[in-house]
Amino acid sequence: MANIVFEDTQRSFKQSGKEVLAVGGINLTVADKEFVAIVGPSGCGKTTCLRMVAGLDMPTKGKVLVGGKEVKGPGPDRAVVFQQFALFPWKTVAENIQFGLRANGVDSAERVIRTADAIKLMGLDGYELAYPHQLSGGMQQRVAIARAYVLNPEVLLMDEPFGALDAQTRVVMQEELIRLARKNPKTVLFITHAVEEAVYLADRVVVMSRHPGLIREIIDIKSIRDAENWDSHSRIEDVMDLPSFVKLRSSIWRLLREHNLGSDH
Amino acid sequence: MGVGKIYKKLLRPILFIAGVLVAWFALTEWSGLIAPFRFPSPTETWNSLNIITFKGYGDGLLYQHILQSVLLVTLGFLVSSSLGVLLGILMGANKRIEAFVNPIFLTLRPVPPLAWIPLAIVWLGLGDAAKIMVIFIAAFIPAVINTYTGVRSIEVPQREAAAMLGIKQLTYYREVILPGALPMIFTGLRLSLQASWTTLVAAELIGATFGLGSILHQAAQDIYPGMILVGMFTVALCGWLMTLILAKAERWAMPWKPV
Amino acid sequence: MKMTQYLGRGEWWFYTIVGLLCFFGFWYGVVAANVTPRQFLPAPHEVLLTFIKLLHEPFSGYTLLTHIVSSFKRFLYGFLLAVAIGIPLGLLMALSKWADRIITPFFESIRFVAPIAWIPFAALWFGTGIGGPILIIFMGAFPPVLINTYRGALYVEPKYIEAARMLGSGKIRLMTQVLFPAAIPAIVAGLRISTGTGWQAMVGAELIVASSGVGYMMVNGQSNIRTDIVMSGMIAIGLVGLVIDILLRQAEKFSTRYQEI
Repeated sequence: MANIVFEDTQRSFKQSGKEVLAVGGINLTVADKEFVAIVGPSGCGKTTCLRMVAGLDMPTKGKVLVGGKEVKGPGPDRAVVFQQFALFPWKTVAENIQFGLRANGVDSAERVIRTADAIKLMGLDGYELAYPHQLSGGMQQRVAIARAYVLNPEVLLMDEPFGALDAQTRVVMQEELIRLARKNPKTVLFITHAVEEAVYLADRVVVMSRHPGLIREIIDIKSIRDAENWDSHSRIEDVMDLPSFVKLRSSIWRLLREHNLGSDH
Repeated sequence: MGVGKIYKKLLRPILFIAGVLVAWFALTEWSGLIAPFRFPSPTETWNSLNIITFKGYGDGLLYQHILQSVLLVTLGFLVSSSLGVLLGILMGANKRIEAFVNPIFLTLRPVPPLAWIPLAIVWLGLGDAAKIMVIFIAAFIPAVINTYTGVRSIEVPQREAAAMLGIKQLTYYREVILPGALPMIFTGLRLSLQASWTTLVAAELIGATFGLGSILHQAAQDIYPGMILVGMFTVALCGWLMTLILAKAERWAMPWKPV
Repeated sequence: MKMTQYLGRGEWWFYTIVGLLCFFGFWYGVVAANVTPRQFLPAPHEVLLTFIKLLHEPFSGYTLLTHIVSSFKRFLYGFLLAVAIGIPLGLLMALSKWADRIITPFFESIRFVAPIAWIPFAALWFGTGIGGPILIIFMGAFPPVLINTYRGALYVEPKYIEAARMLGSGKIRLMTQVLFPAAIPAIVAGLRISTGTGWQAMVGAELIVASSGVGYMMVNGQSNIRTDIVMSGMIAIGLVGLVIDILLRQAEKFSTRYQEI
């Protein structure tokens, strides 16, 4: 059971002497194998929330639990896909993907199989021996996702993973991610400031505001998606044309405006 | 391709060298504008080169002098910079060690390696030992500083990725910190090599009976400009070759680096 | 796995002080063990006392202060000469491809000769005059100035030049108001490097072809086996070098104040 629970979680920082509340008290439960996206403007604390689940940051008050256990530090059970890719430039694609498996004592035969599967899954065939600097942004992010996926984590944490990609690559990656999510569902926490991306990918969308970082609304996507059968359309532009999609997207935009207008300081 | 490239790579350097030679001859032998005791003519230089290569000068043949200097530098450089890199990694990885070693470093760093020569001579006399001491100091400091900077410059997302993957501490140092710091480590090695070479030549110039620097010293005393030029040229050539070898080593060690 | 360490202020000070204590403690220990005569290895406080004494009591002809001024003067002349030639030449080479083609080969062939190697010729041409050390210092300070000016001017972002052209700048204005200011940070960085190499070259020169200056004083200290004098010289060299570097670092910060980090 890999669920995420935020229990009255708070994170404050000291900035030029003052206490800044990056994340005010938030309560949120991400169910096992649920795909939840968090949207909000910069500074609303969404990345901080993800980092607290990852164990790269600690709450100053309250708790963060994964699978019922409090998060104490980073680990391969909560794999992270970073916005800046964070690949190791001195390792080849295959070595980057394998690194986590090797570190956790997976024996070499199994490593080879799992790595090969991940490479195939992310469309990286032929690039096993390439170095990151030889790859485009989209390819590099695929390696980053493969690296996370190959760990078979209980929880997948994605911090604006497509933010550094150009619009076309972004769309392709979104379609691929949906494919993966349907094929091999995991508990996912996905951070983005692109509303369309959130509505397309997630089961639920969490809207946050800033100063302090709080959850304002949680919108359920899954029920509408299932009712209107979005998955029958394989192309993203077909889904985005559907009136149900448009309605959800617009309402989330309005929510963002409502809670973030005038909070520019 | 074709003619243009041949011109650039072959003809232009040849033309340049030819031009320099002509000007050199003209200014010295043909016109006598530059007196022979101020700057040697090409013939003089050639003669000096012949003498030192085959008959010897300053108690040895050219290749013996070269061997002496180059071996000394290579040895000193390798030992010293390896230790320097090690210390740099320790300092970069462990803030306690850094705090401990730093004050000594800050006080020693502003003193140029050449300034250690008189002290080395007082302590160790005029022999090879003093030279090794100065080479050691010259090579050690840049190695430490650049390695330390390299270790500290590993970007945060990469460190976090390593933590997330569950990498153990030792593997972290071996497969993340070390390769990540390698570019800056090589910068440090380059500086170390340059410093070692310069310092050795200076030390030999001051007080040695053998080695390239001693050739310069002897030639200056004998007022033998041709030999001085030969000495200078050899120093430059050896320095250039060693730097080239290091550059090749750098490219071999970091196959992932875009050229 | 620990990513980074955080050391509290207290702990940092603790280890720093312990480090210093260990260093001086070791030094005192070796002195106290009487392994060598006092002249070879004086105690730290003896070096300090000698240093202070030398400031107003002459050794090998002049007081330490006078020696320092001597050294610094030489350094300054050599450095200024390098700047006076290096910056215009660097700018010229960046602007004119022909200048670049002619000068670069000369420069590249001379660059690998260590400044020290010029000492025999310096002695031959200038004897014990001030010209000798200045030549050496020039040889040390010149390359970084030239290279950095050249690169700084060459790599001015084309977009600045295009923007200036679009706004109607003529060629001269382009040079003085766009190219030169844009290259200043690189030039100042080059100046900083060249003060280091120039200062080092000065030390080398004074060890061999000088009759005054800190290096000269150190050589005399060495022949008289006065380690305390030699060390005082090293301290002086280090201090002055440090001050020069700090000044240049401030200049560097000032010149890049408009740039993003």
